[in-house]
Amino acid sequence: MLSDDAIAQLEANCAREPIQIPGAIQPHGFLIAFVERDGVVRHVSGNLSTFLAVTPENLIGQSVAVLRGELGASLKDAAEQLLAAADGPMHAGSINLLGASGLRERFELLLHRRGDLIIAELEPAAAPSQAQFASMYPVVNAFVSRIQAAQTVDAICATAAEEVKRLTGYGRVVTYSFDADGHGYVNAEVIDEGYESFLGLRFPASDIPTQARALYLSNRIRVIHDADYVPSPIVPAHDPDTSLPLDMSLCGLRSVSPVHLQYMRNMGTLASMSVSIIVEGRLWGLISCHHATPKPVSMHTRSACDVLGRMLSLQVEAKEANSDALRRLELRNIMVRMLSAMSDRDRLGIGLTRSYQPILEFARAGGAAVVYGADCDMAGATPAREVVVDIARWLFERGEREVFHTDSFPRIAPEFAASADVASGLLAISISERHPNYVMWFRPEVQRTVNWAGRPEKNADDLGRLSPRTSFTLWEEILRERSLAWQRAEIDAAAEMRTTVLSVVLRRAEELAELALELGRLNKELEAFSYSVSHDLRAPLRHIAGYAELLSEMEGDKLADRSARYLEHINEAAQFAGLLVDGLLTFSQMGRSALTMREVDVDALVQQVIRELAPDTQGRNIEWVIGELPNMYGDGSFLHLALRNLLSNAIKYTRTRQQARIEIGSSATDFEQVMYVKDNGVGFDPRFVGKLFGVFQRLHRMEDFEGTGIGLANVRRIVERHGGRVWAESEEGMSATFYLALPNAETAQALAKDETLPN
Amino acid sequence: MLKPILLVEDNPKDLELTLLALERSQLANEVIVVRDGADALDCLLRRGAFESWLDGNPAVILLDLKLPKVDGLEVLRTIREHANLRSIPVVMLTSSQEESDLVQAYELGVNAYVVKPVSFPDFVAAISEIGVFWAVVNEPPPGSMRLLRDARQ
Repeated sequence: MLSDDAIAQLEANCAREPIQIPGAIQPHGFLIAFVERDGVVRHVSGNLSTFLAVTPENLIGQSVAVLRGELGASLKDAAEQLLAAADGPMHAGSINLLGASGLRERFELLLHRRGDLIIAELEPAAAPSQAQFASMYPVVNAFVSRIQAAQTVDAICATAAEEVKRLTGYGRVVTYSFDADGHGYVNAEVIDEGYESFLGLRFPASDIPTQARALYLSNRIRVIHDADYVPSPIVPAHDPDTSLPLDMSLCGLRSVSPVHLQYMRNMGTLASMSVSIIVEGRLWGLISCHHATPKPVSMHTRSACDVLGRMLSLQVEAKEANSDALRRLELRNIMVRMLSAMSDRDRLGIGLTRSYQPILEFARAGGAAVVYGADCDMAGATPAREVVVDIARWLFERGEREVFHTDSFPRIAPEFAASADVASGLLAISISERHPNYVMWFRPEVQRTVNWAGRPEKNADDLGRLSPRTSFTLWEEILRERSLAWQRAEIDAAAEMRTTVLSVVLRRAEELAELALELGRLNKELEAFSYSVSHDLRAPLRHIAGYAELLSEMEGDKLADRSARYLEHINEAAQFAGLLVDGLLTFSQMGRSALTMREVDVDALVQQVIRELAPDTQGRNIEWVIGELPNMYGDGSFLHLALRNLLSNAIKYTRTRQQARIEIGSSATDFEQVMYVKDNGVGFDPRFVGKLFGVFQRLHRMEDFEGTGIGLANVRRIVERHGGRVWAESEEGMSATFYLALPNAETAQALAKDETLPN
Repeated sequence: MLKPILLVEDNPKDLELTLLALERSQLANEVIVVRDGADALDCLLRRGAFESWLDGNPAVILLDLKLPKVDGLEVLRTIREHANLRSIPVVMLTSSQEESDLVQAYELGVNAYVVKPVSFPDFVAAISEIGVFWAVVNEPPPGSMRLLRDARQ
């Protein structure tokens, strides 16, 4: 066995073999090439005198008009008439010429133009041609009806194989199609007894070299009557004037490569015919016929097969175009559903993935994901979230800014091989020029057994020439880390979707910008409002309080008790309103001020607040029970305010107790720290717990416990600004416990990262 | 020895209550009153109606934040930019505890920032403490006035 490099080298040599100028023909017919203008013969095949009563030496340099047929018409006349329109090889009917026997004999004539030459290929006519022409119509008619009824491409091919088998009598007729890598897959077969079945097998692309494929496109039908033939040379081999060999690209009799003949013999085939299936200008597949023994095929049969091949091509094209159109229509419908779901949602990703079914159906994917900024929304079977994000980054770093697709992702990016089970196939569209934002579809691994007709490897012979493989027995290959291939329609639809999503993203960004502008304006107004509330309302309140005080000082003695009490009420009311204004301002400031997050020593904070509240606790009997208080992550001055509110409440609502007991403690989970303040005060009715933290909500009568009703609202606002939560429990008349929970440093930082969208 | 106080206050009620508070601390006679920011600057810079004003600076300026014509922060800025006035202690008296005002005032170099309490006894106590500290305890920079008069007379 040779090394891969050596094989590649030999294959490259093979692909360079000049098969279009073999300098010889197959000997079951003969060839005359003459100048179109004057009819002077430039080349003939060496076997000329086997068929005609003329030698090559006698004909070369002479006018082809000397070869006169029936009714006095010459070969030249026939050629002129028949080639008026067409360039390609055409069966020009039959012509009578003076045969080698000295009698007029009938030959089938195949003509084509090459440069300034007309190349005429002639074969002895096998049977009366009229009868065969007559039989063509029903054959074609029946074939057309059958393939129109066929539902699938495979069924159409099977019909064609049957028909060709019937027309030619070959022992094995198969049809095969080429995949994206050029491997042939046998999708239909009709065989006689004794012939090995190739159905479902794969033939490696290297079986047919590149230049042979190119010839299959221009020359749709090729026949080898007998693989053991002795080629008949072209004389002269080179044109005496131009020194060029005869270009036989379009010749039906063209001699084939010895490697190919060996390949046939290895396969146990001595006669073969292949008809090209051409779809949208590319070689889609072949009808390939084999026979164990040499087998001539008449020109008429070949013509019939050619017609069948063309009709098959058209039907395959129509079927593929049809299913493609259906798929595109389906994709479009799904896309419309997805886009409408998307525009209903605030977040692009959620919009796409919540409409779960459509996004998966869209590309017949197992999973889908939308990576947009810090969001990563997923649906179906996908790799883990962080892997999906890594894939987005990988795509971005690779410069994938439009559509990316592969059916073997782990082969391109081995670092993601661990996700091969769900992500062997990847289709992704970029939805941002500047950020790794992608919509992705994943297809699972489909482990496939590929049945090769023999191990797709070649060997070199003793002379270092590439020898065709000798084994055509089944060889199984298991393909891994592969998904089903993405269809062209799916890739195109993804590209179209990208354009649409981009426009939605753009529109949304504009809307957000407008919203932010509006919010900014509202915030400014609110700021101005609270400023004037605080400033302009405090002044008159101060005046009311001041003058009331002065009045009672100066006139106190002279005032009736009732008047004095009224004055006192005025003073109290003004002071209370002042407190309210202060509370409101604090409340509004808390919504606006930025938090300065750090580790706060809660224990020290509690001690400080207790000291600050000393005036309120004077003369009271309060037992402080302070548990272990770890640091909390937050804004120190805001936490101070919250704690001050909770502790002053505890002090306030235990006022009626002989012995007040206020307990401060804490607990922690993996992601948050909880702190509580528990008192043995009057508590509250648990039915109203929902109202407790609202602005201006009071659960006690004014004369029992003073207060503005804004303290707990402040606490809640502070805690919620930190991404935490507050709640309270109470046994009415016995105790109340207020809890506040803040995310710990780790959680808070993770949340903050999540909130900062890179765009 | 008492040193003069320049009181800048536009609200007549606040003015009355402030003077009353100063009076109760035996500081009223040392007070020069102007009613807006422009007058305050004219007075300090000896301009316009205050051209023939006596030499010397007040020992302290009690400056209301919100003033007609030129507001308190602007007055403060001018004082701090002016070589002859820069060293005068300035106490900002205000109704507002709005943080941005506080921050700005400190950035402009205010010496103290007092939010006038709503309660009258607290108000009297606050004004009294300020007056006593700046006009009695504090030693003013050289060049401060020794004479006490109402600027409006």
